[in-house]
Amino acid sequence: MFAGIDVGGTTTNAALVDGNKVVKTAIGPTDHHEILGSLLRTMDRLIEGVDVERIERVVLSTTLITNLIAEGKADRVGLVLIPGPGVNPKDYRFRTEPVILEGAVDYRGREIAPLRDDQIRATAQSLADQGYRKVAVVGKFCQRNHEHEMHVREVFSKAAPAIEVEMGHRVSGRLNFPRRAATTMLTLATRDHYRRFAEQAERAMRERGIKAPIYILKADGGTLPLDKSLDRPVETIFSGPAASVMGVMALTPVGQTSVVVDIGGTTTDLALILSGKPLLSSKGAKIEDMLTHVRAFAVRSIGVGGDSVVRVSDGKITVGPDRAGPAFALGGPEPTPTDALMVLGLTNLGDMTLARKGTGIIASKLGCSTEDAARMIVDTVVDRIVDTVNMMFLEWEQEPAYRIWELLQRTKARPQNVVGVGGASPPLVPLVAKRLNAVAIIPEHAPVANAIGAAVARPTMTLSLRIDTERGMYTVEEDGTLGEAKGRNLSLEGAQEMARQLLRERAERFGIQDYADEAEVVDSEVFNMVRGWSTVGKLIDVRMEIPAGIISSWRGEHGS
Amino acid sequence: MAADVHSKQEVSKIDAPGRRTEPPVRPARTSSVRKTGLIFFPAFDWAISPTHPEREERLLYTRDQIFEEGLMDFPEIVEYRPRLAELKDVARVHFCVPDVQSQVTEAHLIAAGSTLVLADALMRGEIRNGFALVRPPGHHSMRVVHGNRGFCNINNEAIMVEYIRRKYGVRRIAIVDTDVHHGDGTQDIFWHDPDVLFISFHQDGRTLYPGSGFTSEMGGPLALGRTLNVPLPPGTTDEGILYVLENLVLPVLEEFDPQLVFNSAGQDNHYTDPLANMRFTAQGYARLNEMLAPDMAVLEGGYAIESALPYVNTGIIQAMAGLDYSNVREPDYVPGRFVLTSEMRRSIESTVNHLLTIWDSRDDLVAKARQEHGRFYSRRKRIFYDTDMITEGQEETLRMCTECPGYLTVSTQAARGYGRLNTAFCVSVPLFACRSCIEDAREEYEEHKSEMKYDYVYLQDKPSDRFRAYCTRTRNEIVL
Repeated sequence: MFAGIDVGGTTTNAALVDGNKVVKTAIGPTDHHEILGSLLRTMDRLIEGVDVERIERVVLSTTLITNLIAEGKADRVGLVLIPGPGVNPKDYRFRTEPVILEGAVDYRGREIAPLRDDQIRATAQSLADQGYRKVAVVGKFCQRNHEHEMHVREVFSKAAPAIEVEMGHRVSGRLNFPRRAATTMLTLATRDHYRRFAEQAERAMRERGIKAPIYILKADGGTLPLDKSLDRPVETIFSGPAASVMGVMALTPVGQTSVVVDIGGTTTDLALILSGKPLLSSKGAKIEDMLTHVRAFAVRSIGVGGDSVVRVSDGKITVGPDRAGPAFALGGPEPTPTDALMVLGLTNLGDMTLARKGTGIIASKLGCSTEDAARMIVDTVVDRIVDTVNMMFLEWEQEPAYRIWELLQRTKARPQNVVGVGGASPPLVPLVAKRLNAVAIIPEHAPVANAIGAAVARPTMTLSLRIDTERGMYTVEEDGTLGEAKGRNLSLEGAQEMARQLLRERAERFGIQDYADEAEVVDSEVFNMVRGWSTVGKLIDVRMEIPAGIISSWRGEHGS
Repeated sequence: MAADVHSKQEVSKIDAPGRRTEPPVRPARTSSVRKTGLIFFPAFDWAISPTHPEREERLLYTRDQIFEEGLMDFPEIVEYRPRLAELKDVARVHFCVPDVQSQVTEAHLIAAGSTLVLADALMRGEIRNGFALVRPPGHHSMRVVHGNRGFCNINNEAIMVEYIRRKYGVRRIAIVDTDVHHGDGTQDIFWHDPDVLFISFHQDGRTLYPGSGFTSEMGGPLALGRTLNVPLPPGTTDEGILYVLENLVLPVLEEFDPQLVFNSAGQDNHYTDPLANMRFTAQGYARLNEMLAPDMAVLEGGYAIESALPYVNTGIIQAMAGLDYSNVREPDYVPGRFVLTSEMRRSIESTVNHLLTIWDSRDDLVAKARQEHGRFYSRRKRIFYDTDMITEGQEETLRMCTECPGYLTVSTQAARGYGRLNTAFCVSVPLFACRSCIEDAREEYEEHKSEMKYDYVYLQDKPSDRFRAYCTRTRNEIVL
């Protein structure tokens, strides 16, 4: 049996899955001040009367990191940059004023300007004096040469031993220096909190007699053993929407193109599954105003939900983004879309008299019947959702391409299904589907689809290898691994084999070696480096991934 | 769209006349909220040949630099997806022999199509300016295309110019070619067009490919002075090029008052370029684009793929987006590294003064040409396609029309080595042609269809936007 628990914004959902069956579900409220407590209370209800010995794995998905950042409770982090030539670092918008060090590395990892020890020492001293306990050190192109970042850490450890230093290349080796800086800062800012949470969660599970391995769900829909995720807390951000998408993957036919609609109280989360593959945000997640390297599903949130306040302004209906309380029908102060849905007989969640009274407020302002007002309110909500979905497809179609094949292969995609998950989706999803010319699906267990998604999600992993045969070195983007690559005549096949091996090793480090064989090469290319009309070496890029997926036992298949 | 173009005139009234260092006001400068549109298309899967300068690797380090800088994330910049240009967009500019399909690959259509995506965004007012950072380049491609010359098959800027004119009714356009090589293809295409101002500055043609671009090349008889060539001595520095910009290009632009300005943005004036000998720096390129403030820049050459391109492109993108570019410098650059000798300075000053005289007397020159030539003007040309080793002979005839720019015919024969390649007769009707030129040109096309000495006969009928190709052997006509 697999257990999945999603601690969401308003509710905590849990599900227990056995083979391809959902055997038990539980829903409880989320208390923002006590994430772990919320989790455990729902967990206890889930395992009540269940033989916990039979639980083979537990997957958690939490808003912990999201909340820490949103509520400003994350730790204070100093930022030290080694930007070298290029953009003026003042043009980047970080949450803190960065300290700029001299020194530079170029795009192939060659040092083009040395560091200055006196400057580093002075910086360490000054940050310590300002009371910083954590400092992110990030260099432009540091992923192609770690020396500068390592040296800065070295000098810091002597000049300001109380400061914990994290280096950019350890957090992400993807191109994009400001994103790497933001991701490194967020990693440091949340890591201690996350470690505490992980330890407590682990202990609580053991106290309940659950011996199964515990996993955490990442924003890209993959699972990672909890103890291996301690260094990478930011990857768990937005795991809630990821859990919903994985739930839809599990509860709908394989390989189809679907829109995932999760309508909550005040927001609606939208995501796309294209031919069975969840769409990832192309560069990385945006966390509040910070652009990061965190691999995440492309989830769009709009400020419309079942409890959004409905108003009339300039003779037009507006919905949200705020919430004044529950629906009018449930004793709330303002009319909401839920009231309109009740008037139209699409849901039955409260007192009909109150629903009509609430919707009537809007009707009188518009000078129309209560039914017409209800229709207009629902249309307004459906319009917002449909427009956003169309925009998401359009943006996907218009994503930049850098190669001819990329440009030629992409065709237009249209949704086959609109799948509703979460509590407020059932009455609205058929209306959205009709407008999009798609099939509406409200899967069984839709309210806890996210918990099911967490329970049956499998690990993900990417590995991006770059080999520079002229310089005789290779780098791995994901964690900044840097090593020696021998042989100027390395072939693409040789490089792919090397990538496969590195991925296997990486999977072992993360305790997910069982899935290493599922990795596929998603992209590879070779650039001949020509200097003065002769080939002096090659640059080879190989990208591999274990894509987001559902564990095989859920589909009734055998194997891992 | 047109609002952009019109709003310019209102603003230019506010701009004090006579301030010669200020670039002319154009749509790009009328709004501070709109973004800089960028298409980066490095064509990582296309090369002329594995070791050719125009190969997959060319923009690889540029990609690394601009991605690592996070430039695409700046709110001032918006990235667009390229598309393929249509064959018709190519036929609007070129006579491709035998047909467009045999002269272009998908990569060419994407490079050209990228400029069209940005052109649409510009004219719709979505962006304040655009930079097509694309390859393969195009400025050596002439009106008639038998093959690849100077790494170019089709002329990206020219395709964009004719597209914008057709779709948005823009008439007066200026192209400033800042590549180190003379933009002989663009010059050839707009040679007879009085509404397109073409200014090219480049390393002196006596010392560099394609060996043309002298001050005496100043446009066809009805467009004299609308082509200005600024040959520069090898070793010219930032100072020298910025002098040309300030003292020639900007004042001439202000007087010509174009609706749009394009930069044919080669990057091979750089001091490390392996194919040329100039001393331009990344800072100089950024400053140039800031001063010129083009509505659109389109990448041309530039083959110092490691030492120049990553830095130059970062600087150009920043300058166009209004970002601070002061921190962009090559690793081995120190300020004051290159000095313009007084000899070079005198030479540049004298070239600029000479060109200003040509510019000031352009109307007199046209009047004189009208007296000199009868109803038709002819010239013969020989063209060499270095990449494909093709030689071409042309005879070009222009109707010296008093009502319009006049229709043009070109009789062309191409040979590769000792083997005859193709012969063709091409008729081009300008977009703003008068009725009589349109009718006569169509008649010439019909008449030449029966001449067996030509393999192909073409009619480029821009007023009706129809492009005809007739094969005399198969008697088959294709209309785009």
